[in-house]
Amino acid sequence: MGLVEVARGAWPEAEGDVQLPVLAGFVMSSFSPLVAEAARRCLGRAHGEPPVAAGRGARTAVIISSATGDAVTAAEVARAVDAGRRLGPLLFFQAVPNAVAGYVAARWELGGPVVSLSPAGGADPVAESLAEGLAMASLLIRDGDADEALIVVAEQALTDGEHDRALAVLVRNSEVN
Amino acid sequence: MTEPRPAGDRAQVVVTGLSAVSAYGRGASALAAGLRAGRPAFAPVTRFDVSARRVGVGALLPGSPVLLDELLSTVDEAAHQAGLSAPVRASTPLLLAVHGEPDGARGLPDRPGRTGAFTLSVAEKAGLSDGARTYTSACVAASTAVADAAATVAAGGAERVMVAAGYLVEPDQFALFDAGRALAADGAVRPFSAGRKGLLLGDGVAAVVVESARAAQARGATPLARLHGWGRAGDGYHVVQPRPDGAGLARAIDAALGRAGLTPEQIGYVNAHGSGSAQSDVAEAAALRRALGEHASAVPISSTKSLHGQALEASPLLELVATVLSLREGFLPVNAGYLAPDPDCPLHVLTATTAARPAYALSLNAAFGGANTALLVGAP
Repeated sequence: MGLVEVARGAWPEAEGDVQLPVLAGFVMSSFSPLVAEAARRCLGRAHGEPPVAAGRGARTAVIISSATGDAVTAAEVARAVDAGRRLGPLLFFQAVPNAVAGYVAARWELGGPVVSLSPAGGADPVAESLAEGLAMASLLIRDGDADEALIVVAEQALTDGEHDRALAVLVRNSEVN
Repeated sequence: MTEPRPAGDRAQVVVTGLSAVSAYGRGASALAAGLRAGRPAFAPVTRFDVSARRVGVGALLPGSPVLLDELLSTVDEAAHQAGLSAPVRASTPLLLAVHGEPDGARGLPDRPGRTGAFTLSVAEKAGLSDGARTYTSACVAASTAVADAAATVAAGGAERVMVAAGYLVEPDQFALFDAGRALAADGAVRPFSAGRKGLLLGDGVAAVVVESARAAQARGATPLARLHGWGRAGDGYHVVQPRPDGAGLARAIDAALGRAGLTPEQIGYVNAHGSGSAQSDVAEAAALRRALGEHASAVPISSTKSLHGQALEASPLLELVATVLSLREGFLPVNAGYLAPDPDCPLHVLTATTAARPAYALSLNAAFGGANTALLVGAP
């Protein structure tokens, strides 16, 4: 069994991609908006407006693959705890990558498995995280719990000069028409 | 479509080694003794300052255990029980479920990629292969890893896989769950019960060796349990709330039953996700009704989270180990804290430790993002 790429979307894609769209319910960190925007671009190219048709959506997995994870939220929580500051409830919801996976799955009505992975990164973290996500997609599809998988890679800028990057790729089983 | 297939045309999958750490102590025997005694392990938290929190209770080991050390000793015990030689370990990949690198949030910004790097360091120190994968899928991370390990072994992609998971209660997640008003203010976890107030966190570190039955036999290893089925499915419903009709979890259960080639009536025990949260328990009861039909109100059910607490990414593996130990020792763990029936959870909830040795049991988990998993285990 092989995988066929159906569509992809990224952030940024053009010079105009400077400010990520606000994602209601998510605060302080670019991680979840990155995932949502790359997923929107990818799924929009494959399916048009949400939701995805029930027959396909129900068997599409959502895989988040990120070496950094939501490093900004994690650091903000640590700073608040160390300073004895109160945490807002929204931080509770976004403290795991599954939350934005759930946002994407709900918006597009995707009912396949939801999986979050954190590969080790390396010289090209986006490529490495994509490879990890593709391996996961292949496993899920071969095992039969999904026919398609949306892989969303999101890597946050952690040092000056870096930029947030996201890449979403929708793949399907090459043996299914 | 590529529907889940029965295991008949695939390699049989067994568990040949396991170990766990919980508030009951270190090692599988400590967990088994705690489960059998049926006394919840919750107590006031003293590991860090909880004076500013609404709730200050959890199920914690004494002192300040270190996650890396606990993972290494737990993996070592599972590998030892499975009888894995050093060369066999060196060819065994690690699937690890963790929230993140334990110090990562305070090491920024100079340690990018830290969680996956943490997994690689666990694999290296444990003498496992470098083919590691890190699962961060919240409260289904470890069960997803088990399902993937089983799928890989069943398909012949590996003879064996080490699945490990660890969460030790720390101030950041404690503060987040407290801020989210998710913690039970009455200091008890009461899954499926009237008057339940929420969850409580608990320490959990666990490891299992997932192996093909043929490879285990060839090594002369004795299987402890068989992994008959597994399933994973999403709700497609909400960022953090479970789908009220339980359809996602029900599809995960259907997939597990389908792979096992079993009917609902053959399931003799369910170790439920049973977080003790109002909405989550109702959704799980609905999922059981959808997947098991009338048998949902007859099959004995408990959530061992009522005893050892919610260990987040690691909880599903702690619960799988708890389920296997219970089956082997011939008892079903109590669903502690139960006060009275909730009409929205019409289930056969176990209100006492019960002597029984069912052939098949389900271990269920659900998480933020509408992620659901079902693992189906039985005697080898």
